[in-house]
Amino acid sequence: MTKRYSRFLTVCFCLFLGGLLIWHIALPDRDRSEVENRTLAQVPQFSWEALVDGSYTAAVEEYFADQFPLRDGWTGLKARVEQLAGKELFNGVYLCGDTLISKVEAPAEGQVEKDLSYVLRLSEKTEVPVYLGLIPTAAEIWKDKLPVGAESWDQTQLLEAAEATGLPTVDFAAALEAHADEAIFYRTDHHWTTLGAFYGANALLERLEQPLLEMEDFTPEVVSRDFNGTLYSTSGIHWLTPDTMEFWGREDGLSVTSWRTGEAQPGVLYDRSYLEKKDKYSAFLGGNQPLCVIRNEARPEGEKLLLVRDSYSDALAPLLAGRFSEIHLVDLRYYRLPLTQYAAENGIDRIVVLYSAQNFLTDQNLVLLAQ
Amino acid sequence: MIFSSLTFLFAYLPVTLAVYFLTPLRWRNWVLLAVSLFFYGWGEPVYILIMFLSILIDYTHGMLVEKYRSDDRKARWFVAQSVIFNLLLLGFFKYWDFLAANLSLIPGVRVPQLGIPLPIGISFFTFQTMSYTIDVYRQDAPVQRNMVKFGTFVTMFPQLIAGPIVQYKTVAAALEHRVNTTEDFARGAGRFTVGLAKKVLLANSIGALWEECLAAQAAGTLTAVSGWLGLLAFGFQIYFDFSGYSDMAIGLGYMFGFRFDENFRYPYLASSVSEFWRRWHMSLTGWFRDYLYIPLGGNRHGTAKTLRNLFLVWFCTGFWHGASWNFVLWGMYFFLWFLLERYLLRGVLDRMPAMVKHLYTLVVVFVGWGIFAMEDLGVCGRYLAACFGGAPVWSAADGFRLRSYAVTFLVLILASTTLGRDAWEKAPEKARRVLMPVLMFLGLVVCTAYLVDGSYNPFLYFRF
Repeated sequence: MTKRYSRFLTVCFCLFLGGLLIWHIALPDRDRSEVENRTLAQVPQFSWEALVDGSYTAAVEEYFADQFPLRDGWTGLKARVEQLAGKELFNGVYLCGDTLISKVEAPAEGQVEKDLSYVLRLSEKTEVPVYLGLIPTAAEIWKDKLPVGAESWDQTQLLEAAEATGLPTVDFAAALEAHADEAIFYRTDHHWTTLGAFYGANALLERLEQPLLEMEDFTPEVVSRDFNGTLYSTSGIHWLTPDTMEFWGREDGLSVTSWRTGEAQPGVLYDRSYLEKKDKYSAFLGGNQPLCVIRNEARPEGEKLLLVRDSYSDALAPLLAGRFSEIHLVDLRYYRLPLTQYAAENGIDRIVVLYSAQNFLTDQNLVLLAQ
Repeated sequence: MIFSSLTFLFAYLPVTLAVYFLTPLRWRNWVLLAVSLFFYGWGEPVYILIMFLSILIDYTHGMLVEKYRSDDRKARWFVAQSVIFNLLLLGFFKYWDFLAANLSLIPGVRVPQLGIPLPIGISFFTFQTMSYTIDVYRQDAPVQRNMVKFGTFVTMFPQLIAGPIVQYKTVAAALEHRVNTTEDFARGAGRFTVGLAKKVLLANSIGALWEECLAAQAAGTLTAVSGWLGLLAFGFQIYFDFSGYSDMAIGLGYMFGFRFDENFRYPYLASSVSEFWRRWHMSLTGWFRDYLYIPLGGNRHGTAKTLRNLFLVWFCTGFWHGASWNFVLWGMYFFLWFLLERYLLRGVLDRMPAMVKHLYTLVVVFVGWGIFAMEDLGVCGRYLAACFGGAPVWSAADGFRLRSYAVTFLVLILASTTLGRDAWEKAPEKARRVLMPVLMFLGLVVCTAYLVDGSYNPFLYFRF
C-alpha cells in the first residue's frame, strides 16, 4: 500500500464514521416515527444514580439508535440484503409473494387457559350475556400463502379451547375461510380490511341471531391507495404495492363520543386526517382510545352492545352501528373501571370480548376482565 | 460498550480517534487510558473500580518483583501474591455462585449465592495482568515503572472485553514508543471492517438459526436434521463472532499503533482435534501452555505427570469459559479426544484420506459445541440424542430453514477456508486497489443497516 492510497482509505473510513456522527448531531431529534408508529427515545436526563445503576448508558444507546439518521432507509436496506440471502422471514413477518403475514409465536404454557379463564370469570360475574369472539389472523386463514414449511402457531388450538369453555363464541374462522380468496386482510398490515370486517360483522350478527348485513347496504369508498401498514414497517420490506383502504359505513344518524382524555368529546366514525399520515388504519374511529360510544339516533329501541376491543373492532363497529342503538368500545389497555359496573350503569344488553387471536395471546390486560 | 453497536461505531470510535490523534505523542497513553476506562465503565460504571484495583496491585507487584530480584524467595512470594490476587478476583466474581450452589448440595452446608453481575472481560484482563508479573519475574518482559503506561496495558479497550489475551511483552515496546503510520491505520481499518462484518452479518445471522433450533428442542419438534443444523449454526456463530472480535481488536490495535498476535488460524480446516486447538483461540491455549502446562513440567516427567498436566490444562480451559458444569465437561471431552489422538488414533488417522480426517475433526468439534452451548446438561443430552437418531429425521420446517439459510451457510463455509484470502492475494494489484474501498464501504454500510434495524445482536462473552 502506498502512502497516498493508505491516506485515501483512512479518510474514507473516518469520513464514514465521523460523517454519520456529525449528521446525527446536526439532525433535529424527532418525537415519533411515523413509519414505525411509535415514540422515539429522547436525550436522556443525566443523574449519578442512573449512571451507577447502568440505566443512563442504556438510555443513551437507545436514544442514539432511535434518532439515527435515515433510520427507515437502513431498515429497508437490511431487508433487501436479507432477501438476497434467501430469507423469507423478516423480523417475524413472512414475505409471501405480494403479501406480508405476521408469524404467530407459540404462547407460554398455560397462557391460553389463563386468558380464557378471565373471560369465563367475567361471564360469571355479570347478568349480561358474554360472547367471545376471537379473530384468526392471516397466518391462519391464509396459511396456504405462507412459504413451504414456515412455522406459525396453530390458532385453531386457541379457537378450540375457546369453544370448550362453553361460552357462546363467534365463528370468525368459518366466515373468513369461506372468503379466503378475497382481500379480507391487508397485504402490508396485520388488520383485516373493511371487507374482512364485513364478513366478521355478519359472523357476529349470526351468533347474536340477528338479520345479516347485505353488501348493498353499504357504499364502499376507496379512501387511500397508498396504505403501508405495520408489517411494512416491522419487516423493512418497502417494495410491495401499497394497500387500498375503503370506508363503507355512513355517518348519518350516528353520533360518536370519544373518551380520549377521560372527558367526553365528539368523535367521528372515520377520521380522515389520518389518511394523510402513515398510520392510516387509525382513521377507523380515530384509532386507539380508552372508551368510544357510537349512538344510533334512528334506532333508540335497539340493543346496546359492549365490545371489549382491540384495533380490529375499529373497522368492524362502523359496519354494525346501524343495527344497534349503542355500541360501546372499551379498551382494557387504557380503561380501568370494572366492566361489570360499566355494563350495569349503561344498560348494556350484550358483551362481546372481541380480539384478534394474536392480540389475545399477548395482551397483558385480560386479567382486568375478571375484576 | 461493545464494538458491534451504533454508539461505539458512530460516537465513541470517531471521537476517540480524533482526540487521540490530536493529542501530542507524549500524552497519548493518558488518552488511551482515559478512553479505555470510559469504554469499560459504559456497561457497568461501578466496575471501573476493579480496573483501578487491578492496575494498582499488579503495577506494585511488578515493581516489587523487580526490586527483590536478587532475593528469589521474596520475588517468588510477590509473584504468588499477584497470581493469588488475580485468581481471587476471578474466583469471586466468576465462580462464587457456582461454588456456592454446588457446595450447598452437600447436606448441612449452606453457602449463600451473591448474584453479582460478572465484570465484563474479567477472564481476559486477569490473565493478562497475571502473565505480566510472571514475565517480569522470568525476565521475559521489562518491568513497567510508569503507572499510566501500565494502566494503558491493562485497560486497552481494543482487546479488553473479548480478547485476544495480549501478553505484556507483546506490547511492552509499543507502550514506550509507537509509530503511527497511515499504512497501519488503513490496514487496521480494513481488518476492523472485516471483523465487524464477520460479527454482524455472519455470526448474528446464523446465531438466529441456533436459537430457533434450541427453541424447537424445547417445543419437542427438533429433528435430526435441525439438530445438526443447529450445531453447525452455533459452531459458525461462535467462530465468526469470536474471530470477528479478534479481527476488530487487531484492526483497532493497528490504528492505535499496537500489534496483537493472531488469535485464530482457520480452525475449521484442521484435520485433527489437536490441530484444531492449535488454530483456535491461540492466545488462550498459548497462555495455558506458557503459564500452566510448561511450569508444571509439560511432558518431561513421564506419562503419569504428563497426563496430570494435560488433565489440568483441559480442565482449566473448559472451566475458564464459564462457571458451569457443561464447560468442565466440554474441557474433559477434548481432554479425552486429545488422549485418544495422542495414544490410539494417531497411526489410524495418518493413513486416512484427508477428507475423512477432516470430517472426523469437524464432527468431534461441532458435537463439542453442543456441550458448550447448552448449560443444562439434561437439555444438552436430549438435544444430542435427537442428532444421533433419537428424533424423526426431517420435518417440513427443516426445508424452510435450509432454504432460508442456504446462502448464509455457503458464505460461512467459504469464509472458514483460505479460499477468499488466496483469491484476494492472487488478484492483480489494480483490482485490489479498486475493490478494497468498495468492499470496505459496502461492509460498513450493510453492517450499519443491520445494527440500526436492531435485530439479534448478542454479546456471547458475558460468561467469560
